[in-house]
Amino acid sequence: MDFKNISILDLAIFLSDHLAKHGIETVLSGGACVSIYTKNEFLSYDLDFVMLDFSGKKKIKKILEKIGFQPEGRHFRHDDTPFIVEFLSPPLSLGEEPVKKIQTIEKKGRKLKLLSPTDCVKDRLSAYYHWNDRPSLEQAVMVSLAQSVDFKEIERWSFRENMAEKYSDFLEELDKA
Amino acid sequence: MLEALFESEKKEKILFFIYSHGEGYAREIARTFQFNLNTVQNQLLNLESHGVLYSRLKGRVRLFGFNPRYPFKKELEALLKKAMMFLPESEVRRYYFPRLRPRRTAKPL
Repeated sequence: MDFKNISILDLAIFLSDHLAKHGIETVLSGGACVSIYTKNEFLSYDLDFVMLDFSGKKKIKKILEKIGFQPEGRHFRHDDTPFIVEFLSPPLSLGEEPVKKIQTIEKKGRKLKLLSPTDCVKDRLSAYYHWNDRPSLEQAVMVSLAQSVDFKEIERWSFRENMAEKYSDFLEELDKA
Repeated sequence: MLEALFESEKKEKILFFIYSHGEGYAREIARTFQFNLNTVQNQLLNLESHGVLYSRLKGRVRLFGFNPRYPFKKELEALLKKAMMFLPESEVRRYYFPRLRPRRTAKPL
């Protein structure tokens, strides 16, 4: 595989598919999903994969080393690409709720599991809600504008997270955009 | 108290410490309990890597606290709160009763 000039989407698809072939199921989350859903209007260099179970954690290092990714602390890097790959522990959750519906992107017979656009917005909002991270709020707005998202569901989830006030910040930013 | 669940008395004490203090750093926790610093650091990093704790730099100190995005945070805190009720009062006062209000500069006490 040639990793020079590879896009974040193609790298995510390749890694997800490669790991799945070795029995390790992952779901892409975080900023990489924002990049994919905004067609790189926001460009992330972090690929955060959530493992669906713990069992594969020890195998990942060997599998990735074979294709040239070297561990650096908790991340993996490849000399030919600026992207950083990290594997997060399960469960796959958004605030207090588990993620139930997972999106799949298929390209040339390879599959990538990732957060749906609606869950990607929740994921970014969660960072804003708990860390006051304005760039995450901006990203939530970007995804909402670029994709079809379920606002009722985002509102329900935000209220359940006791973040009604900050949810109105999100609506205000959407209005301005 | 919860060693059976946490598989480590040290991990239990670290979690009690963070629960009662809100945040803590490795050296402070190690000093409080007379634990080996590396052991505390490893436990904190392990809890962080599993999403239970967050860490942030404040000056040159890395502070750890319960990750608000951890899906079982509320339940973990409820468990620690209840378990703490079973600790001897003297232990709670010694380790888990921090002064959290500010102290003016140069105030003697």
